[in-house]
Amino acid sequence: MPHIEFNKITKDYGAVNVIRDLDLAVEDGHFTVLLGTSGCGKTTLLRMTAGLETITGGELTIGNQRMNEVHPRDRDIAMVFQNYALYPTMSVRENIGFSLEVAKMSKGETAKKVNEAAAVLNLTDFLDRYPRELSGGQRQRVAMGRAMVREASVFLFDEPLSNLDAKLRAHMRLEIRQLHDRLKTTTLYVTHDQIEAMTMADKIVLMKDGKIEQSGSPDDLYDRPATKYVADFIGSPAINFIHGTIEAENGTPVFASVDIRYPLAPDCAAQPGQAVICGLRPSDLEIAVTGDISATVMLAEKTGAEQNLHLKAGEQHLIVVADRAVPAPTGQSVDVRINTDRIHLFDAMTEQRI
Amino acid sequence: MHVTEKKFSRFVSSDHPLPWLAPLLAMLVTFTIYPLIYNIWLSFHEYAPFKRRLEFVGWDNWSTLIGDDRFWASMGVTLLYFAVVLTIELILGLALALLLDSEDFGFGFLRGLLTMTLVVPPAITGMMFLLMEDPEFGVITYVLETLGILSSTQPILASPSTALMGVMLADIWQWTPFMVLIFIAGLRSLPQEPYEAAMLDGASGWQIFRRITLPLLSKVIAVAVLIRGIDLFRMFDYVFVMTSGGPGTATYTVSLYAWQQTFSFIKWGYGATISLVTLLVIIFIANLFIYLAKVRW
Ligand SMILES: Nc1ncnc2c1ncn2[C@@H]1O[C@H](COP(=O)(O)OP(=O)(O)OP(=O)(O)O)[C@@H](O)[C@H]1O
Ligand SMILES: [Mg+2]
Repeated sequence: MPHIEFNKITKDYGAVNVIRDLDLAVEDGHFTVLLGTSGCGKTTLLRMTAGLETITGGELTIGNQRMNEVHPRDRDIAMVFQNYALYPTMSVRENIGFSLEVAKMSKGETAKKVNEAAAVLNLTDFLDRYPRELSGGQRQRVAMGRAMVREASVFLFDEPLSNLDAKLRAHMRLEIRQLHDRLKTTTLYVTHDQIEAMTMADKIVLMKDGKIEQSGSPDDLYDRPATKYVADFIGSPAINFIHGTIEAENGTPVFASVDIRYPLAPDCAAQPGQAVICGLRPSDLEIAVTGDISATVMLAEKTGAEQNLHLKAGEQHLIVVADRAVPAPTGQSVDVRINTDRIHLFDAMTEQRI
Repeated sequence: MHVTEKKFSRFVSSDHPLPWLAPLLAMLVTFTIYPLIYNIWLSFHEYAPFKRRLEFVGWDNWSTLIGDDRFWASMGVTLLYFAVVLTIELILGLALALLLDSEDFGFGFLRGLLTMTLVVPPAITGMMFLLMEDPEFGVITYVLETLGILSSTQPILASPSTALMGVMLADIWQWTPFMVLIFIAGLRSLPQEPYEAAMLDGASGWQIFRRITLPLLSKVIAVAVLIRGIDLFRMFDYVFVMTSGGPGTATYTVSLYAWQQTFSFIKWGYGATISLVTLLVIIFIANLFIYLAKVRW
């Protein structure tokens, strides 16, 4: 059952169109992640949901009720702002407890909830400080705490971990996800970090220029990217793209580029003669004794357990993720094997999946 | 726990500041420090009319002052005037500022209109209110009588119980817009995000005002209260024009009393003593206020 529904939502700032005819259903109790590059309209969408920005066109419903004209106060939404929006004249304690204070919760209960949130967020030592006396990451955690003590029906998070160090971010990812599993509150979570999106989301909504490029489970987006843009956006290191055409060889389709020829599955929908882009994920490629592509190692980047091998096959640049035990000195010739099930083909003109 | 921080000067600094400061120091010495010291010196002397010169009188002026009932009465009038007018101008100013802080059509015009009172010289304002509060044909008298608040046998400015209120009216009319202007400027400079957060946190309009707006505005309010408060303490024009301190001594303020002693009675030393005490009281109240207001952000 959808909890939040966007029906043909449009947003203009004067003559500038930011979001156009956006349709989206956010399932009840799900953790939905809005993913997209900077400036694609994520914050704008969140702010419209919260009622902080007027909706130019279309209808927003929450729990089947039209929300377009409902005051932010009456939407029962907790939000973590991208710019934190802390109360400058209140201490951390008061900041986190403000929603409880205005709801006239008892002092004791407020203190209990604030302390709990502070403990989860490692803020216990800072409760009596003022926002201007905190670092960026500490402020961001205060903003998180303010939402965590709420029992709202919808949570909106706008890049709540962007200012934390890698370790704290991983810790907070887990905390947020556990909080969600416990409370089952419908959550819209904005990020431009695809790892965050992949690890936390029930459903990812990938936005581009104010429109939805693709939405689905993290696996959907990773395994069946609908467009070249999605394939490029999801996955790290980024997917390899090879431009080529489809040729028919003995009745089976073959992908052919200047440097690479590779037979495709017989049931492949691509037409002979069609110009295509072939997407190969670095982790779907394998260094093998005999392979489908022969290439030369340009550079090996160690990432810990693995290494990213930058290869050159003719003029084609390829990245392969390999075990770090694979010997790959620069200049070495290697063979690369392609996992046939995991080839992504896109039409070169429309960039849509074939 | 408060973390100390280094503050950087907002303006240029120099390794050799003295030449740059000299003009300012000269001004300060000429127009502030010298008169102050002269005033202190004067308070230990008195003008002897027949000898036509100042004579040293020791602590005479100060001991006279302590036993001077008229001085203490005028101090009482001043303090009352100060407290009542400041409170009303503050609350009214804040309320009007909140109402006028809008981008909607027409509000800019209203704000402009409000500044008009500040252009009128206070003495003229006094004359205007003198006429408006006239028992025969004053419009304020007429309105108050019609509303049944005032009996027709009671002239506002000539009755001891209402005279000071009559004067206050002129002050409030003229200076509330000053407060409004400062507060609107303050409101305009407040960050918008805390308001958005507070709305989502479920705060009502009143809660937002009390917990967000008021604390954010506290510095501005403190400055406005200080400026206006010091001004109120020196109030002279309105009583001089409207009541000359009467009826009896009902509206005799300290500055009017000092003026009377100095220029009507030619008691220069005593006048100087009165103004010195007034200065001390202002300094005391101002510092007490700064201490109590504890503006903290
Ligand atoms: N008040 C405004 N007036 C005009 N344009 C605006 C306004 N606010 C946002 N925009 C534009 O709307 C677009 C979307 O902005 P938005 O803040 O939603 O981006 P975002 O996806 O949150 O980006 P980021 O990841 O950098 O936070 C941007 O191109 C921005 O320039
Ligand atoms: Mg944003």
